[in-house]
Amino acid sequence: MKIKKADIHKIEDFLWEIPKAFRPNMRVPARILASEPLLDAIMEDRSLMQLVNVASLPGIKGASLVMPDVHEGYGFPIGGVAATLHPDGAISPGGIGYDINCGVRLLTSDQKIADIKDKLEILSKEMYAQVPSGMGKGGQIKLSTQEMDEVLLKGAEWAVEKGYGEKRDLAFMESNGRLENADPSLVSDMAKKRGTDQLGTIGSGNHFVEVDYVAEIYEESIAEAYGLAKGQVVILIHTGSRGLGHQVATDYIRQIISAMPNYGIEVPDRELACVPFNSKEGQNYFKAMCAAANYAWCNREVISWEVRNAWKNIFGPNIEPLKLMYDVAHNIAKVERHLVDGKQVEVIVHRKGATRAFGPGFEELPESYKSVGQPVIIPGSMGTCSYVLAGTTRSKELTFGSCCHGAGRRLSRTAAKKQVNAPVLKENLKEKGIFVEAGSFKGIAEEAPVAYKDVNMVVETVSNSGIARKVAKLKPVVVVKG
Amino acid sequence: MKIRYLPHTADIRMKIEGSSLEELFTAGVLGMGNILRDGFCDKNGPFMVKLKIELTAHDETCLLIDFLSEVLSNSYSEKAIFCEVKIFELTTTKIRAEIHGRQQAQGFDEEIKAVTYHEADVQKNNNRDWETLIIFDI
Repeated sequence: MKIKKADIHKIEDFLWEIPKAFRPNMRVPARILASEPLLDAIMEDRSLMQLVNVASLPGIKGASLVMPDVHEGYGFPIGGVAATLHPDGAISPGGIGYDINCGVRLLTSDQKIADIKDKLEILSKEMYAQVPSGMGKGGQIKLSTQEMDEVLLKGAEWAVEKGYGEKRDLAFMESNGRLENADPSLVSDMAKKRGTDQLGTIGSGNHFVEVDYVAEIYEESIAEAYGLAKGQVVILIHTGSRGLGHQVATDYIRQIISAMPNYGIEVPDRELACVPFNSKEGQNYFKAMCAAANYAWCNREVISWEVRNAWKNIFGPNIEPLKLMYDVAHNIAKVERHLVDGKQVEVIVHRKGATRAFGPGFEELPESYKSVGQPVIIPGSMGTCSYVLAGTTRSKELTFGSCCHGAGRRLSRTAAKKQVNAPVLKENLKEKGIFVEAGSFKGIAEEAPVAYKDVNMVVETVSNSGIARKVAKLKPVVVVKG
Repeated sequence: MKIRYLPHTADIRMKIEGSSLEELFTAGVLGMGNILRDGFCDKNGPFMVKLKIELTAHDETCLLIDFLSEVLSNSYSEKAIFCEVKIFELTTTKIRAEIHGRQQAQGFDEEIKAVTYHEADVQKNNNRDWETLIIFDI
């Protein structure tokens, strides 16, 4: 069955719907947040059929949703949101993804780009030297069995306690960098083994550390609250829970596939495998996922320590320290309260390639952000631009408090490699003032700007739909990749 | 045995074929090894790293994906790429095998996050060969 444009109804500007009647096993409609040109682009791969599959999850509420940066995944589309009723609705590890708590954080400096231009090339080399990247590269920290359990329990707090992080940072992270439900005993020995030497490493693929500058400010008062100003140098970090998280997902998807028949659940794709949240298997996965999420927050905190060291090595020990603006997850499941059919209820919100985007008044936010809403960080592709947005109350009404997470891939890695001459691209970027340090030319080609959608269009769409407000545009000057 | 890599927006789609289930499982290991490091398994051994794997699953598709996931996890924990499979027992729901590989101290070319069940469907094709697609999360 193929989805045709005629199957998709326009609900309002930037919101489209495939009705529940489209396929008999849909429990809710499927909704797409997109401009019409982006919707046409989305229809080119199998994202929407995957979205329709998600609409069949037991206990799903409202609608299965995708953001404008959506692309085809393996089961769930990447850029999707699904909320199931707590406590007996489904939890599906595929709705979080293999890279549990993949996310982004932004560090701010007191430096202006005009003042450090001559140091960018040496800074790129120092960042590359300090932050281990690429496949199979271990970090400086080797965790003992006991230390591993502490990381899984405490998340970013562990890094702070051990001198690899800043105490102030904790208030500026989603969930303060620690999920309370984590249970290290539910994380397999293999997962722990894979995570032993990976704290402080970014890995490969689309993960990176970038030095950017604030090129434009759209909302002065919000930017001021976030500590952002035009021309300011900032650092963007994108990575997740590394091999430990991949193994947790692999272990539990296998277990949940076996357990599904016990609950009479059938799914159209095994990667949608799910069980009731309050079942033994559901709780075990959730607690292991929380532990892996904590590892990811600890990982990004340790990477920040490495970045801070590189910064001091280049600018001297007396330089003003880098401050964490915010850290957000974009592959995670959370129990949250949302309005469903006119009633406030608890739901399990699966965000896979989607960022939480809560508006003003959200209790967890640091005092200085409470009146303006949660920062939402949207990395673009290498050599283009990224954005800082602010969550709104409208996101709660439309998308279970969620927003996009990036530009979204457009070309396969193979197609990108065919189209892009990586050494030439690296030189061209250097001429534009962007210094790229990567483990391989292959990695540069696969992540070239041509492989991605136009992040500006994606951000315009979420901004026009009202689920987030544009605060600042960032432009890269240094990119460090695996 | 045939191994082909097909387009996918974000990940890697591989099609494997074999005249027997044994050949199909071996193709999966070989194809995955060559993703981790281009051409690694096309060269001859010696394959000094040897590990035993024993698994059960409720059908041949899950068995293949679970087996490749196990091989992948061992690749990361042993920092080795596996290219050969010695199969002692293989039914549609059970495998007992030994995988042989070489350590790869310089790291891998590609980080495979996972072997997914998406699109995997082990079946006999019109030529009576076993085949399936496999999507790797990259």
